[in-house]
Amino acid sequence: MDKFFEALFIGLSNGAIYALVALALVVVFRGTGALNFAQGEMATLSAFIVWLLNNAGVPLVLALLLGMVFGFVIGALTEITIVRPLERKSPLAVFVATIALFLGINAFTTGVWGAPPDEAIDSLFPNEPDSYLSLLGTTWRYTSIGALAVTLVVSFLLFLLFQKTRFGLAMRGVASNAESARLVGIPTGRVLAGSWGIAGALGALAATLVAGVNLQVTPTMMFTIFVYATAAATLGGLDSPGGAVVGGLAIGVIEAQAATWSTEWVGQDMKLGVALLCILVVLLVRPAGLFGTSKVVRV
Amino acid sequence: MAVRVPQNSIGHWVIRALWVAAVAAFVLYIPTRTETGTIGDMTVAIEFAIAAISLNLVLGYTGIISLGHSAFFGVGMFTTAVMVDRYGWSQGWTFFIAFAVAFIVGCLVSLPALRLTGIYLALVTLALAVLFPTLMKWNKLEWLTGGSRGITGIGYEDVPTWPLLGELKGRDGRAVFLYWLGIVLLVVTYAIARGIVKSRAGRSLVAIRDNEIAASVMGVHTARTKTLIFGISAGMCALAGSLSAIRLDAANPDVPTVTLIGSITFLLMMILGGTATLWGPIIGALLFVVIDTRTREAGASGTGVINKVFNDWMNFTTSPAGFILAVIILVMIFVAPFGVVGLLRRLASKLVVIVPRPAGTPAAAGDVLAPAAAAEVVEGAGADAVVVSGDAND
Repeated sequence: MDKFFEALFIGLSNGAIYALVALALVVVFRGTGALNFAQGEMATLSAFIVWLLNNAGVPLVLALLLGMVFGFVIGALTEITIVRPLERKSPLAVFVATIALFLGINAFTTGVWGAPPDEAIDSLFPNEPDSYLSLLGTTWRYTSIGALAVTLVVSFLLFLLFQKTRFGLAMRGVASNAESARLVGIPTGRVLAGSWGIAGALGALAATLVAGVNLQVTPTMMFTIFVYATAAATLGGLDSPGGAVVGGLAIGVIEAQAATWSTEWVGQDMKLGVALLCILVVLLVRPAGLFGTSKVVRV
Repeated sequence: MAVRVPQNSIGHWVIRALWVAAVAAFVLYIPTRTETGTIGDMTVAIEFAIAAISLNLVLGYTGIISLGHSAFFGVGMFTTAVMVDRYGWSQGWTFFIAFAVAFIVGCLVSLPALRLTGIYLALVTLALAVLFPTLMKWNKLEWLTGGSRGITGIGYEDVPTWPLLGELKGRDGRAVFLYWLGIVLLVVTYAIARGIVKSRAGRSLVAIRDNEIAASVMGVHTARTKTLIFGISAGMCALAGSLSAIRLDAANPDVPTVTLIGSITFLLMMILGGTATLWGPIIGALLFVVIDTRTREAGASGTGVINKVFNDWMNFTTSPAGFILAVIILVMIFVAPFGVVGLLRRLASKLVVIVPRPAGTPAAAGDVLAPAAAAEVVEGAGADAVVVSGDAND
């Protein structure tokens, strides 16, 4: 049972990070109907900004907030300058643009910060050898608890934003029918830029959490996490924020349990394979995801 | 005012002959007049070109988004490595088996692809690209793939003697031989791609891309066509991987071309050259390699604008080629979504217009004047259809 709880907890705290990035993907997808393939790389770039600020003497929490503002700005700018004009041309152009952004940001971060020395950064939470909680026979480290707590709080805040504010109402309106939303006077442009901005800020938060766990910022740190996040978003449904959170946590727990109980076949190496199998099964059985709405296309 | 040349007239054949002569001159110039380093770079360009051509068949012509071609590249690379290292095959024969293995893998991968469209397909192929290096490092497969160390010692020690090339020895000889091997592969891939695109099969691909339902109503067997084209494309990409394994003398799961970055680079260089054009992927690959080598030279020389921007201001420690490519693509989607080849074609049509023979007239009636509008219908009429108006039926 100890092994079960240990894997469960590792899974939940990893899953929390996947959930955050998945939330970012979903927020963008609901508004624009596009998947932002550069989401992970934008997040990495924001984490480097946090590192730069922190290195310049700004306290980590303040640096994180400024990093999230940076993430918001690049997200919103991407929507305004690239996605919006291209969307009128074709969805494939948006896809190509996000792929180009992926390569561009990745080449930039690798070029500037890829070589040693490492970009060391502190964790957001106490990270001493003895900063853990003993519960159910396993040790639950504060950094892991922190990631989970942050995700739950952020999800709750987003829920409030979506369900209780005028902006959230406008977002839901745009998500359900952009054309009608524009006709009833919703400023769709501002709503979409806002969605991309929120996604960018979420990414910055997630990347800083990841950096805190690794104790350094690296150009490739969001690579696999982005793939896990797409798996999570697919599992939960690409247009369902609740689904993203559930999907993220589920993917985290499934891969951790698989790695624990099948050390020989799965182990640490093939965790990714398990997550990808999840995507494939979900897409073949229920393409809309667990909580997503299936799209009906008029021929 | 543009000169109007009727299709298949003497003038048209002169233009074609000039083209072939120019290309042949370039192909011959590289191994005979340039240094070994340049010949090696051009072999890399050939690998990229083959990969981009294969991707163009699925993405450009059929509209199937694939981010998984680095995996097929890797399948080719590892098949060659395993056959040479474990089973003692000679390098040349592994191309056939690499094609066959990747063809089967491609067909299998395309099975879910038959049920998925657009972004979901991109996700599955993205997963494939990320999974491939992990799979090669997997401890259960280590007996075959050599784990994270990969397989080494698969290149030629002494290159075979080919009739026209004569005796080739040492490092220089190997570079020249690999270059010609690459040219042969490139010609074969180009010929296959051209054969498919210009035939009935190619028109059914474009039909699937532009409106799948309409295509199936018109009698295109969409499932079979998509599976086959995906398999063929995967096989072609594996040829590039095999060549790469022989050139690098190693198969390694950490080589950038077998990771997601590889897929993305193939895709962007294809877009750079021109989507759904036969020459686009080749031009795109060539341009990318030129950018890559130029920026590396600029970085090493310590002078010039590139060096000032990337090495002095931004402190780049790696080649900025990927960054430059990304910026070019981002600008290009706005100003020239049809790519370099599309751009050149538009410029050329200001000078020379090939007037096609009206349908149904005998071949002899070469210089019948056709309406100018029809003159646009040259090879790859849908050159810009993918990026500009890909989803007209939405």
